[in-house]
Amino acid sequence: MYDVIIIGGGPAASAAAVYVARKKLKTVVITESFGGQSQVSDDIQNWIGEKSISGFDLAKKLEEHVRSFSDVVEVKMPERVLGVRSIKCNEATHVCDFEVKTEEGNIYEGKSMILAAGARRRKLGVPGEDAFNGKGVAYCSTCDAPVFAGKEVAVVGGGNAGLEAVVDLFPYAKKIYLLARGDALKGDPITQEKIKNHPQVEIIYNAETQEILGDKFVNGVRYKDVKTGEEKIIAVGGVFVEIGSVPNSEMAKDLVELDNYGQIKIDSKHASTSHPGVFAAGDITDDPYKQNNISAGDGVKAALAAYGYLQKRAKQSPAAEK
Amino acid sequence: MAKIYTTPSCVYCKMAKEFFAKHGIAYEEKNVAQDVSARDEMVQKSGQLGVPVIDIDGQIIIGFDQPRLAELLGIK
Ligand SMILES: Cc1cc2nc3c(=O)[nH]c(=O)nc-3n(C[C@H](O)[C@H](O)[C@H](O)COP(=O)(O)OP(=O)(O)OC[C@H]3O[C@@H](n4cnc5c(N)ncnc54)[C@H](O)[C@@H]3O)c2cc1C
Repeated sequence: MYDVIIIGGGPAASAAAVYVARKKLKTVVITESFGGQSQVSDDIQNWIGEKSISGFDLAKKLEEHVRSFSDVVEVKMPERVLGVRSIKCNEATHVCDFEVKTEEGNIYEGKSMILAAGARRRKLGVPGEDAFNGKGVAYCSTCDAPVFAGKEVAVVGGGNAGLEAVVDLFPYAKKIYLLARGDALKGDPITQEKIKNHPQVEIIYNAETQEILGDKFVNGVRYKDVKTGEEKIIAVGGVFVEIGSVPNSEMAKDLVELDNYGQIKIDSKHASTSHPGVFAAGDITDDPYKQNNISAGDGVKAALAAYGYLQKRAKQSPAAEK
Repeated sequence: MAKIYTTPSCVYCKMAKEFFAKHGIAYEEKNVAQDVSARDEMVQKSGQLGVPVIDIDGQIIIGFDQPRLAELLGIK
């Protein structure tokens, strides 16, 4: 039985792990990988204390820091959590033990949990998207832009991620169609400036993507003009989907309260969820600012709150702690 | 020799290269951002457009699939 089970390996989980380790709590960190979502970023310029760091180096630093506490923190990686639930609850005190099940077939039991599994890319959910995943449909412009050298491509999404994908594609793609759902772009004005009058870029507003077309590889995308209802097809060899993210909260949906977006509701003062003993931090939560530093800070809160909870729990039911 | 098809900005490509280096296994890197014929070769071999692609004696691995890499390279 662990004191704390931490799920995730991004900034939230890593920060939580460092803090529980310093409290000498017996901990297991279960994660698919270290580093989190910005791992694919070439250049992170706002990780405090580093003017510039690649996602790759940040990932390594987080992992090293967590692993330096190997006396109290076990790391299970790569391991994918399928579900978490409470077991053995005391009706009077609401104190429960928790169980975590993984795809690898392992079961972990703990007195408290920190859910920090972050978020993943949102999919369009249109025909052709899955069939052509990797065959022209791409979710990582920093990684895959060069593969589309000389091609015409579409980027779906008028927010920051979409705009940045367009910028990533500048040196390579012959022509870039940016499909925005609204009648204006939403990303940073500076990036908007960069792309708006760029000769390689054509921005299509009010465009709702309907289908990704292709044969062996992507050869087009069909969209509907939501103003006129007209459907159009553009011929492209690639489609970059950049429409935001979804929280990885499915594992805990029967245990803690989620909001309409599937984000775990937390009391942001204490990183506590609707279930006593279960804490959450980072992009998996309903915290409005999804950033590395914020996730790390929230992870620290979750760790300190878990520590406080465990101390209280030990006082309430000393026998159970033996 | 194993071939790794990469782009300079791809983190999983770096991880794949590090994995080879860590285990002292030689590889040839093909930067598809610079070399269009390498890109086409990669697309043809893997039937897809994502990096990295790793070719170990004709066995094609798409992405940094560590368990599969370890298996094909005989690393325990
Ligand atoms: C391309 C990109 C660039 C970004 N650039 C910046 C930037 O420059 N600056 C900045 O501040 N923010 C940036 N962000 C946002 C930032 O990455 C996130 O806010 C941050 O990563 C959230 O951290 P997290 O720890 O909550 O979750 P995540 O980073 O999402 O980490 C979640 C972790 O949980 C693991 N995991 C997920 N599901 C499971 C499961 N079922 N079982 C086990 N493990 C699981 C994952 O492997 C991962 O390690 C960027 C995001 C993206 C996508």
